[in-house]
Amino acid sequence: MSRFVHAHRGVAYADVRFEVMFHRSGAATNGEPRDSTETESAGFCVSVHAGAGNSIGHGQVGMEIGRLGLNEKKIVAEIRRGLEEAYNRARISAREKAAFLKRFGARAGSLIGGAFEPRAPIRDEVAAVYRQDPRTLDPEDLKRITLEASREVKGLGRDIAFNAVAATCELRHELFVSSEGSLISQAFAFSQGDVYVVAQSGEGHQESYDTIGQQRGFESIAEGWREELLANPSLSAFAVGLAKEAQELAAAPVLKPPGREVTVVTDPHFNALVAHEIVGHPCEADRALKMEAAYAGRSWLLRAIDDNEIGKAVGSPLLSAVSDPTLYGYGHYRYDHEGTPGKRVAHIDRGIFRGFMNSRATAAALGVVPNGSARAAEVYQVPLIRMSNTFFLPGETPPEKIIGEVEHGYYVCGHQIPSIAESRENFRISARRVYEIDHGRIGQLYRSGSVIADSKRFFMSVDAVGNDLSLVAIPNCGKGQPMQVKRMSNGGPTLRSRAYLGGG
Amino acid sequence: MIRTSELKSFAREATAIVARDKDVAQFEIYCASGDNSIARLNYTSDIPCRGVEELKSHSADGFQIRIVTKRNAHEVGTACEAGDFSAEAIRTVLARAYRSTIVDPHFSGFPTEPRKLAVTKLEKSDLARASDVSLVDAAWSILRGAIGAFARSEVAARPHPALVVGGDVSVFRDRIAIANSNFADIRTDESAHFSSSVTALIESLDAKGTASAVGRTVADMRRVAARLGREAAGRALRMHHGVRPEAKTYRVVLGPQPVAEIINYMILGSLTTGAFHAASSAYHGKFGAEVMDRRLSLWDNPVLRTGAVIRAITCEGIPAKRIDLIRDGKLVGLMSNFYDSHRLATDEERAEKLGMPAEKVPMFPALSGYRLGEGGGRRFDQSPGSSGTNIVMKARGGIDDDAVIRKLRDGLYLGRVWYTYPINGQRAGDFTCTVSGDSYVIRNGRLAEPIAPNALRINSNIENVFRGMIAAGKRSHSAIVWGSSESFHVPAIACEGITVAVVGKGEDKPPG
Repeated sequence: MSRFVHAHRGVAYADVRFEVMFHRSGAATNGEPRDSTETESAGFCVSVHAGAGNSIGHGQVGMEIGRLGLNEKKIVAEIRRGLEEAYNRARISAREKAAFLKRFGARAGSLIGGAFEPRAPIRDEVAAVYRQDPRTLDPEDLKRITLEASREVKGLGRDIAFNAVAATCELRHELFVSSEGSLISQAFAFSQGDVYVVAQSGEGHQESYDTIGQQRGFESIAEGWREELLANPSLSAFAVGLAKEAQELAAAPVLKPPGREVTVVTDPHFNALVAHEIVGHPCEADRALKMEAAYAGRSWLLRAIDDNEIGKAVGSPLLSAVSDPTLYGYGHYRYDHEGTPGKRVAHIDRGIFRGFMNSRATAAALGVVPNGSARAAEVYQVPLIRMSNTFFLPGETPPEKIIGEVEHGYYVCGHQIPSIAESRENFRISARRVYEIDHGRIGQLYRSGSVIADSKRFFMSVDAVGNDLSLVAIPNCGKGQPMQVKRMSNGGPTLRSRAYLGGG
Repeated sequence: MIRTSELKSFAREATAIVARDKDVAQFEIYCASGDNSIARLNYTSDIPCRGVEELKSHSADGFQIRIVTKRNAHEVGTACEAGDFSAEAIRTVLARAYRSTIVDPHFSGFPTEPRKLAVTKLEKSDLARASDVSLVDAAWSILRGAIGAFARSEVAARPHPALVVGGDVSVFRDRIAIANSNFADIRTDESAHFSSSVTALIESLDAKGTASAVGRTVADMRRVAARLGREAAGRALRMHHGVRPEAKTYRVVLGPQPVAEIINYMILGSLTTGAFHAASSAYHGKFGAEVMDRRLSLWDNPVLRTGAVIRAITCEGIPAKRIDLIRDGKLVGLMSNFYDSHRLATDEERAEKLGMPAEKVPMFPALSGYRLGEGGGRRFDQSPGSSGTNIVMKARGGIDDDAVIRKLRDGLYLGRVWYTYPINGQRAGDFTCTVSGDSYVIRNGRLAEPIAPNALRINSNIENVFRGMIAAGKRSHSAIVWGSSESFHVPAIACEGITVAVVGKGEDKPPG
């Protein structure tokens, strides 16, 4: 890295991320084996900021190199080649930008962003957490666990039309090296179980899917994990639970929406998707600064640098939300992919909006300190601003009391599909189960229900927050162009608010 | 990237090594080299920005081996490797494939036909050799067009016009070579195309305009770059201060982008053998039945001469050709890969799932077995799925686009939607999406006031769109759907009874 910087004119910054990964997975459908894979891979990404004249350009190169990662000479040669290519790209872009600035003059005055504030180098090493090293996991164990779970689901009856159970175990080891002198080594163990079930009963049918995931060894999926914040049953119990629920739902009536605003009590699993879509994504500074405007949209929390919700009430005083990578959720990490230490970011503090997750460039644009939220889904991709563990903070009220106080309303459980407006200023999120609440008691179960609300109005109307915080593993958050699919956690406690309901 | 001839030569070497293994009964060697380069636009007049983000690329070269053991015709193992095309890598992957074997009673082997492929000469795209300079130049050219068009408007002189230009120019290149123990030859294919999508927002006017294009040559990329920015900004300028129609059920013209988006998220997933086997198709029990208006037909044509992507073979080595999915409104075909074709053919519940006597269930040819990564390029480490390439919808008796609007008389023209999802699962066919730009009120058969972006949400079902059709355009326009592997060529469709809710500005209300 230091040789490259010294040998190339105009390099303002450069970094290299290198990763090796071991991956093992298995899948079964309808009680029969379907898939088993074992992969070892390696890849890298280099990023160069270089100037030409008075402008800075940026270039990146990402490559999957596989077994070449075993050969030190070849790795160095490939990375060197990548740095040269990224440098050339940065120079081309800087020249084009300089010509553009010359042509448009003051009208292109905003084209100054992107420079990093210099900072002190960091050197650290972070180990993965597991009881059994994923590389030593017997492939037969993983095949057997998915097969047994799928067989158990199939055995529930003929109304289970289809089921698929998959399990994954990974060990990833990343190295980050920057021209500022940082050298950070981080390792992660990921274990995940996914279940998909189609149940049908008479004219009704229900498709349900869900995931359990831990940044731990596969024992956390095979045997279950009982830690309070992100607990999960064993894969087999999880699959059977989801399938039984799908059977019940297939036989339940479709929700007929009441056509007026009603009291809704939403459970932690449903609130995970609310936290994800309505707090997490709009709190990504790249989205807030319009960098995602052509794809995933903007943010309801920032209209312009000087016209935003920072310091203003966006929710009731009972509502607080944070992103916290330091917790051992599915989105845990110590350093982001720009080498910035991850830390808890307060988004909503007792109803007041406090700020965004950011990267070094967006922090500079917003005039704040980087908070370590820039991460790539795969090593060969550029870092984007991503959620870590993003959730609503708990209150003090037991969920039974929150439901018990409702004269008439609906208890909304389990998230399914989100549909949100472009800046996420409103949403329709479908639930797996909706129960009617009558005089504080849970009554009729409905399927195909959804909650429809204006985001701010929904948050301002929160009048009860439960003491039952839990996180949910989100395995597939998509963002960027090309799409990056990332793992994280979302969650919250039980909430009570007002909303419209949608039906099927 | 690795040259196609090198991939072929490696596939030959791997074939020789794997064929010598005494425990292997059948095998398949699949090699792929892919590259995706992207110049992303990010211009904000009122916020510091880079204009064009880093030119970025991702290359992945590798191979996959699938084996069937002599022990059991259903015992199959799969493994892959990136970057290393050596004999040692072949042996390592073969050992890994053995460790990964499972006995899948529904695995029926690898494709056998045709044993030798007739040579097809497809025109090669010069994008395969396009330089970084041409891509970066295209991106800045789009920005020049957008800012130039905007600068000529009176809005540009305001203190805070809040112009945002986003989008990208992307070049996708892939090459494959495939061999299997049933084939007498090693088959190769390569393709390259670009796509560009541009969004211009003028936040001070609450206006949004978009433009997009796909193509197969550097000259096309240069040509569209010169106009896309100008078009997107021009559309945004025409959309200023749109109205917010009330929540109710409307007659609606869906422009090509919404039609493509609804087909992508709501229809294609249901038109696969895998979805019928999983009982999750929106057309469950309706194979052969009329599922759309009789004037509509839908097909996938991987060898479409005017398509953005042309593929000569699938990623299972089968010659690519057109597959009819909906003909004159009837469901007549399904996309499939080799495994899923066999799986549905032997499914004991197939009669109920397809809605026809078991003995009449046709064999669905595996014409859609592609191994695609995010964004659609062929990848060495993917299993064959069922995907389209160039999805085409045509309407019999289609009329001019202006005539479609005239025929509707009063209603809404919705030109762009966002975040289309099957809100109650794929099989239910219910969907919801937000109207995000390029939309107008239709009054007396003409486009009237623009509709403010993000003011309406559609809550509907695929039946309302494709069976409640009033008229359709005779011209199929190309359209891009973010994150989709397919490219679309679809008409505008006018339909009855589309329910919209009012959203945004704190007035979120479902209809009456």
